[in-house]
Amino acid sequence: MIDFLNYLINGALVGLLYALVAMGFIVIYRASKVFNFAQGELVVFGGFIVWWMVLAMGMPLAVGLPLAFVAAAVFGLLIERIFFSRLVGESVFAMVMVTIGLLILIRGLVLVLFGAQVRPFPIIFPLKPVIFGDILIPRSLLFGAILTIIVGLGLSWFFNRTRPGLRMTAVAEDHQVAMSLGISVKRSIAFAWILGALLSTLGAIIYLSGKSLSFLASDIGLAALPVALLAGFESIAGVLLAGLIVGIIQGLVTAYVDPAVGGAVGTVFPFVIMLFILFVRPTGMFGWKTIERV
Amino acid sequence: MLELTNVEVIYSDVILAVKGISLNVPDGKCVTLLGGNGAGKSTTLKAISNVVKTEDGRVTSGTISFGGTRIDNEDPAAVVKGGIIHVMEGRRVLRHLTVEQNLVVGGHMASSLRDVRARLDEIYSRIGRLAALKDRTSGYLSGGEQQLLVIGRAMMAKPKLIMIDEPSLGLAPLMVDEVFALLKSLKAAGVTLLIVEQNTRVALDIADYGYVMENGRIVLEGAASDLRSNEDVREFYLGLNLEGERKSYRDIKHYRRRKRWLG
Repeated sequence: MIDFLNYLINGALVGLLYALVAMGFIVIYRASKVFNFAQGELVVFGGFIVWWMVLAMGMPLAVGLPLAFVAAAVFGLLIERIFFSRLVGESVFAMVMVTIGLLILIRGLVLVLFGAQVRPFPIIFPLKPVIFGDILIPRSLLFGAILTIIVGLGLSWFFNRTRPGLRMTAVAEDHQVAMSLGISVKRSIAFAWILGALLSTLGAIIYLSGKSLSFLASDIGLAALPVALLAGFESIAGVLLAGLIVGIIQGLVTAYVDPAVGGAVGTVFPFVIMLFILFVRPTGMFGWKTIERV
Repeated sequence: MLELTNVEVIYSDVILAVKGISLNVPDGKCVTLLGGNGAGKSTTLKAISNVVKTEDGRVTSGTISFGGTRIDNEDPAAVVKGGIIHVMEGRRVLRHLTVEQNLVVGGHMASSLRDVRARLDEIYSRIGRLAALKDRTSGYLSGGEQQLLVIGRAMMAKPKLIMIDEPSLGLAPLMVDEVFALLKSLKAAGVTLLIVEQNTRVALDIADYGYVMENGRIVLEGAASDLRSNEDVREFYLGLNLEGERKSYRDIKHYRRRKRWLG
């Protein structure tokens, strides 16, 4: 029973980490209708910025982390200014192709700027796990889950209750109507990319704290994909629940099915869920359904 | 107030949709643009608000000025800030937002939350139906309610001029009356209106002045009262002959075909 609880809780916490990265997908998709294939690379880039500020430059965490977030925000803005501001009105296919190009570009950029070596990531959260009776919880995942819930609920409130957020939601619904109401679509998309880069950097901090940093970290972008699809690409709050579902299923399958079949089912299973969702409910659990009046 | 001089609009550098039109919308007046499908009426409004650029269109010659300031090819946000709001054809509500959220988006340029609240109260008192529906998802409203909502959303911006495209399209006659009653109350409150309509009867009923467009050109203009009694307008847009009898659709179609042939 204790083992089951351990797997359940750790699965849920990992799922919330996926949810954090999935929020990056969703924020960018809502604003620009672009599925950003380079989301995992944004996590890696954020991770390398943190490494560079804290370990390479020797800055204290209190200085290095805020500066890393500023640098990530500038990077997100640059991506929008250089690539996507010119593509407003172009086909979604063209934009998606650009995100694939961006994926390759960021990989090259990281190699040029930070080198090809595997780097140690700074220890942001203490390594000693939190222990409740027989249940062990990694501190980074626990703090990460709390941060993810705060960020998720905060963003949901922002997009549904505040004027700047509703402006962005209007852009998510209909670019032309948003423009006719005097909303700057380009500014909304730029803000979405900044937010996407910030969420990726936060994801990197939680995911990589005390681990090693390499391009393998970009796999989390792929792992977050089923979460974004299950939630539906428009729902910020829904992504928290979707993260919990995917994380728990993955955790339990890894614990109980993997040993029986020789492994890897836990890694693959979220993608099986993803395919199932695409067949049964392409808009996800909380995504916007097409409302047609007849 | 709003002045278009020899305006040409081209889509994709190929399709000339508006061919050198000039029109004038004075302060506090209601002007209507009439004409059939493809005449260039909606494109004219999109050129003024410059949302035409989202359809790869642009004003290639002529000038559009509002209150003495040139606004042709201006950023749409600047056009709205300058006091012009465009209510687009087809009741384009933000379908997944509630009625109130739609209205708040319309008032996004308000200086403070208190200002937004005051504007909301004003809209709810003017359009009581929206107050009762404020928490409803706007995509599920009836066509008439959606039309009232998009007009209310436009009013949230406190515009000097509202351009409204086909407000009666697809609505039941009673709902058309309600929408036009609202527009009349706005006109009485001093808001300038530029209405694009195919329903010539209701449009000329509210308008002070009208322009008739065909094939991207203005082919007729005059005071609404003159247009109402104009033989061509009566025949081709009101479907009446000189004695006030309804003409058969076949006659009108025949004339149009002949006119297009000769033109």
